[in-house]
Amino acid sequence: MQYYDTGWISILIVLMFVSFVLYNIRRAKTKGDKVYVRRIAGLNAIDEAIGRATEMGRPVLMVPGLGALDAIAVQAINIFGHVTATAARFATPIRLCCGDAAVYTVAQEVISEVYQREGLSDRFDQDSVRFISDRQFAFATGVSGLIHREKVAAAFLLGTFYAEALIFAETANSIGAIQVAGSTSNTQTPFFIAACDYVLIGDEFYAASAYLSREPVLTGALVGQDWIKMTMMSMVLIGALANTFEMVSQKQTADEVEVVTPTADRAGYAPGTTIEYKLEPLSEPRTKRSSELWTSRLFNQKSAPTPERELAEPAKTGGGE
Amino acid sequence: MLNLLAQTEMPPFAAEGGSDQVKQFALYTLIAGFLLVAAMSFVPTKLRRPIVVGATFLAGFYYVLLWLWPKPVNFAPEQKPQGSEHVGVWLTNALPGVSSITQTLTALLLGLGVYSVLRLHGTKLIKKQKDWAFSLVLLISMLTMVTIGYVDYSELKNNPDKVNQASWGFFQYAKDFLFDGMLQAMDAAMFSSIAFFILFAAYRAFRIRSIESTVLLATALIVMLSLMGLVEYALSKQVIDSITGGDPGHFMNNFALNQVRNWIQTYVQGPGILALTWGIGIGSLSMGLRLWLSLEKTGG
Repeated sequence: MQYYDTGWISILIVLMFVSFVLYNIRRAKTKGDKVYVRRIAGLNAIDEAIGRATEMGRPVLMVPGLGALDAIAVQAINIFGHVTATAARFATPIRLCCGDAAVYTVAQEVISEVYQREGLSDRFDQDSVRFISDRQFAFATGVSGLIHREKVAAAFLLGTFYAEALIFAETANSIGAIQVAGSTSNTQTPFFIAACDYVLIGDEFYAASAYLSREPVLTGALVGQDWIKMTMMSMVLIGALANTFEMVSQKQTADEVEVVTPTADRAGYAPGTTIEYKLEPLSEPRTKRSSELWTSRLFNQKSAPTPERELAEPAKTGGGE
Repeated sequence: MLNLLAQTEMPPFAAEGGSDQVKQFALYTLIAGFLLVAAMSFVPTKLRRPIVVGATFLAGFYYVLLWLWPKPVNFAPEQKPQGSEHVGVWLTNALPGVSSITQTLTALLLGLGVYSVLRLHGTKLIKKQKDWAFSLVLLISMLTMVTIGYVDYSELKNNPDKVNQASWGFFQYAKDFLFDGMLQAMDAAMFSSIAFFILFAAYRAFRIRSIESTVLLATALIVMLSLMGLVEYALSKQVIDSITGGDPGHFMNNFALNQVRNWIQTYVQGPGILALTWGIGIGSLSMGLRLWLSLEKTGG
């Protein structure tokens, strides 16, 4: 039976990263150490935004984006849970608009639970969590219309966004709402930065629940993430140094070079031509190419023949008729 | 139990749409779903969480195994797996079945979403609340689109010739008018409004208020100018070389905008995006682990 060659190094590295997170979660649970989390302006602004909405007597809008129910949507709903808890205490109305039916169902359950936990079940309005549409611009139109009609005082745009991101941000800006936005889409983050008051960039989005709740499990996971980052930085540094050393100090010697006959799809070689691999001397030693370096071989254990390699004469074996 | 080892027959959920086999499968799934929900409501509250945690773990564990276990490729149905190969074959064959569970759940949840829309706008309409007329328009549009879309689908299924415009009937023209003529056009109109929003947002972002916004403005200006045909040509390497006579030390070489833009994109923008992507990837890994092991308490 044939198998995909997935290599072992990438699996080993991912397992190592997983163990970092799990170890730190366990450590935080057992030791209960308080972890310092640096200030994140976007999350500090939550209370300010809700306070403003309370003073103005207008609703707070929350949009988890158009994405399906994945880790990003769950994280967005987590943050909305915190926003809702604060809004519920001040009897500030909320509007949570969903573009995915699964996200809508989970969001409704979570928001209802938040009101129950706060002992304010009577303040929960079932229609405050809404499914608008799963069609991108129908969703954009629906939410923009709601922003205009209800004159929301604060808008939280957190989740997976596409082209509709700027429509929401600019519409909310046009009515003077405070906007806190965060997206894992690199293409939309610049739009949010241009249009919103506060933006959660990159992994700040995932740090939000740890920052807001300071729960040991979450802060432990955050420490694990930092360990991963430090390991990655070390790997990049070591890899760069090793590559530089190998390229500068070691010339490719003649007998190490693999010479490959062209594959069947090249001009002059009929289908069915046998591909041959053999070692042949180079005309003169040269600097190693990136594909011949130690790090490249570590991550790409069986590299495919590349066009840069020297070509031998066409093999006359095989079919071709 | 489903025999998932080296299947040669199409699984029921992959049968042709509208066939008796699919209808039968949908009915069984629905009954099983209701029975499951009913059974869960009889389970003591204390036991519900462990059941949900267990189900989440098992579902996640399947995908973890699928990723870790060597995946067989190009195996023929007559090939008999040996020893540990059984696991790889089973995991690979089970993938459509496991994916279809997700699809079934999504379809059921879409029903809940539609119910939400109907309840919200139906209430508005019945109680004649503010802007009830818009709710009426929405409900009529929704009903019309669903009816015409379904009749069009059924007619095309029974009479494939109707794909050609010459054989179109009322429902094909109606669907074409509603979908391509109206919905797509309105989508496009909404999308094109982004151009104006970009302009307003860019104006605000590029006002010189701080050192950071000044750097942003200068960088954006270089990138934008380098993409404008005339400026691009005027400050291209060929034109500058003709001025400098090919002297690499000449001051004018600093104005080859294309090269400046390439430098910005390669050494400033590229690494920045990669770093952000890495951070997001690590965050996703950590979040996925917390969800899989039910360590995350949703709702804060």
